[in-house]
Amino acid sequence: MTTIVKAAMIRNAAAAVSAALLTVGIAQAADVSPAVMTAAQKAALQKTIETCSACHGISGRSVAPTFPNLAAQSAPYIELQLHAFKDQTRADPDAQAYMWGMASQLDDASITGLAAYFSKQSAAEGKSGNATLIAQGKQIFVEGVPGRQVPACASCHGAQAQGNGPFPRLAGQHAPYLLKQLLVIQSVLRTAPVMHGVIKDLTRDQMQAVVAYLESV
Amino acid sequence: MIGMRPIGLQQGILRLAIGLCLLSAKSWAVPSFARQTGMTCAACHTVFPELTPFGREFKLNGYVLDNIKQITGIDIDSHQTLALNSIPPISMMVQISYTHTSTALPDSALPSALAKDGDVLFPQQASFFYAGKIANELGAFIQLTYDGVADHFGIDNTDIRYAHHLSFGGMDGNSHSMILGVTLNNNPTVQDVWNSTPAWGFPFAGSSVAPGPIAGTQIDGALAQSVAGLGVYVWVDDHWYAEVSGYSAAVVGGAHPLDGTQSHVAHGLAPYWRLTYEQRWDRNSLSVGTYGINIKTHPGNGTALQGPTDQYKDVAGDIQYQFIGEDHLVTVLATYIHENQTLNASLFDQFAANATNTLRTMKLSGEYSYQRRIGGSLGYFSTTGSNDTILYAIAPVVGSANGSPDSSGYIAELNYLPWLNTKLQLQYVGYDKFNGLRTNYDGSGRNASNNNTLFGLVWVNF
Repeated sequence: MTTIVKAAMIRNAAAAVSAALLTVGIAQAADVSPAVMTAAQKAALQKTIETCSACHGISGRSVAPTFPNLAAQSAPYIELQLHAFKDQTRADPDAQAYMWGMASQLDDASITGLAAYFSKQSAAEGKSGNATLIAQGKQIFVEGVPGRQVPACASCHGAQAQGNGPFPRLAGQHAPYLLKQLLVIQSVLRTAPVMHGVIKDLTRDQMQAVVAYLESV
Repeated sequence: MIGMRPIGLQQGILRLAIGLCLLSAKSWAVPSFARQTGMTCAACHTVFPELTPFGREFKLNGYVLDNIKQITGIDIDSHQTLALNSIPPISMMVQISYTHTSTALPDSALPSALAKDGDVLFPQQASFFYAGKIANELGAFIQLTYDGVADHFGIDNTDIRYAHHLSFGGMDGNSHSMILGVTLNNNPTVQDVWNSTPAWGFPFAGSSVAPGPIAGTQIDGALAQSVAGLGVYVWVDDHWYAEVSGYSAAVVGGAHPLDGTQSHVAHGLAPYWRLTYEQRWDRNSLSVGTYGINIKTHPGNGTALQGPTDQYKDVAGDIQYQFIGEDHLVTVLATYIHENQTLNASLFDQFAANATNTLRTMKLSGEYSYQRRIGGSLGYFSTTGSNDTILYAIAPVVGSANGSPDSSGYIAELNYLPWLNTKLQLQYVGYDKFNGLRTNYDGSGRNASNNNTLFGLVWVNF
């Protein structure tokens, strides 16, 4: 099987998962639209947004790279992750340390409201970095690593890394956060079915290059 | 003058007790908060009890962030009348310690004999906590402690606070953040969220039986659990903190209403103030601040709690730097406290030789931790001030041969945390100068280095 065919299969699988996850997300969101929230629910949502901002920053643009930027993140992705924290199916160390507790009491309306709010915030600006590393990372993001059967990241995450439905926005995200996610996904501490296959042979150097690029976008 | 010495010695012993308090264990992180929030200790602490930026936010927000089922009530207008944790956020702390001083202390009853060295305290301290939400926007940190030396159970550090979070500005009204809060507490700086101020400062635990220096400023623990303070604070955009509080006497135990059998009783309302700026970037945070108190006291101790007072004006500055990496964590803490004393009452009652004195305390420490598991600290401390032959009277071990409050030394610590809520600590305190001198500081042949202390601690929170 050629590399191109494999990459195409992964893309197709990713698209199928994307569609399935989107369906789940939409089904969950259908009866709890922010438009029909009561005043009390809106006030509670505002309180929750303020709580999130303690780590994720005002308007979802965080300072410390331990905590991801949420501003402009894809709403379906945020919803999926909050549900994964709540039902404890996302179990990497930081998820357990911070988010299992934080998400445990969120109801569907809050999750939908949070996702809608953060997805509409203006994205964090990219940070400049090592030009050589960024160029290497861009090549991996756009073309993949054919020799290691790593498909192009852009095929799911979008040409500008802007995210797409359940596939998260990566542009402008903190490099240390992204690197950590790649590592915990590769070691299956964080379950992400599509990504396990995609990055199983990605080296740490390649990870560092691609996250440097993504932080700069 | 000789006739005055026993009175001065009483004051000296009081100061020693204060000194011991300053060195003893004092502040903790509590699993109550983990139970309430569902988050691990690492969310709020680098290594307990030091707070992370999120830990500071949690405290400034009134300890109310909850992620457990609530028992709620509303009135007919839909106003919430109750929001109670279904599981109370209570927890316990136990400290078991071993203290060895370089040279054994004199026996308290047998002249020329030495007390047993190598003191094990089981426990040095055991505490119960209620720490967390009481109602919406109202929370508390309440500590009840059994003291293994005093064999006494009583109130310890307590901070009850109300906090209201406001967001404003920008298109969606969320561009700026402000917390307005009220604190009711029993120890100036216990309400503070930076570890560069005394109540939660370095060292976080120490021996409660080793000799401690005779002199300490008021803000540096001398008022703990003997005053009640009510204050208001504001925290703006995660940068600016400002607080004004007032403290009055609230002595625990002894004669009530307070009378002349009590000692060091606050007179009137003492203003306390705090201003801090914090900047966060990447994994770093840096805060620079100032704080202080202006307190009048009656010496008591056999004299009436009326007439002239002593006045202490403490002005302090502090700096805290934190780096919180995935594996490496670094904290640097520094504070400088300057105290002007006007001792009208003590001079009149012959508890002091001078009408005015000064004290200056400097503390500097650095801490490193690897993966919150293995770490160490180095600290330097120094107190200097004016000589006073009555206030710092000559006495074996606890006194000063030259009437000086000057003490300085270093603290070295090794910490191992097999779990986030368990700390095994080995600490060494070395003195360059103790109560004014390096050698024969007490006039009875004891040297400063004789008080060097090795301290081992098992510290568990659950």
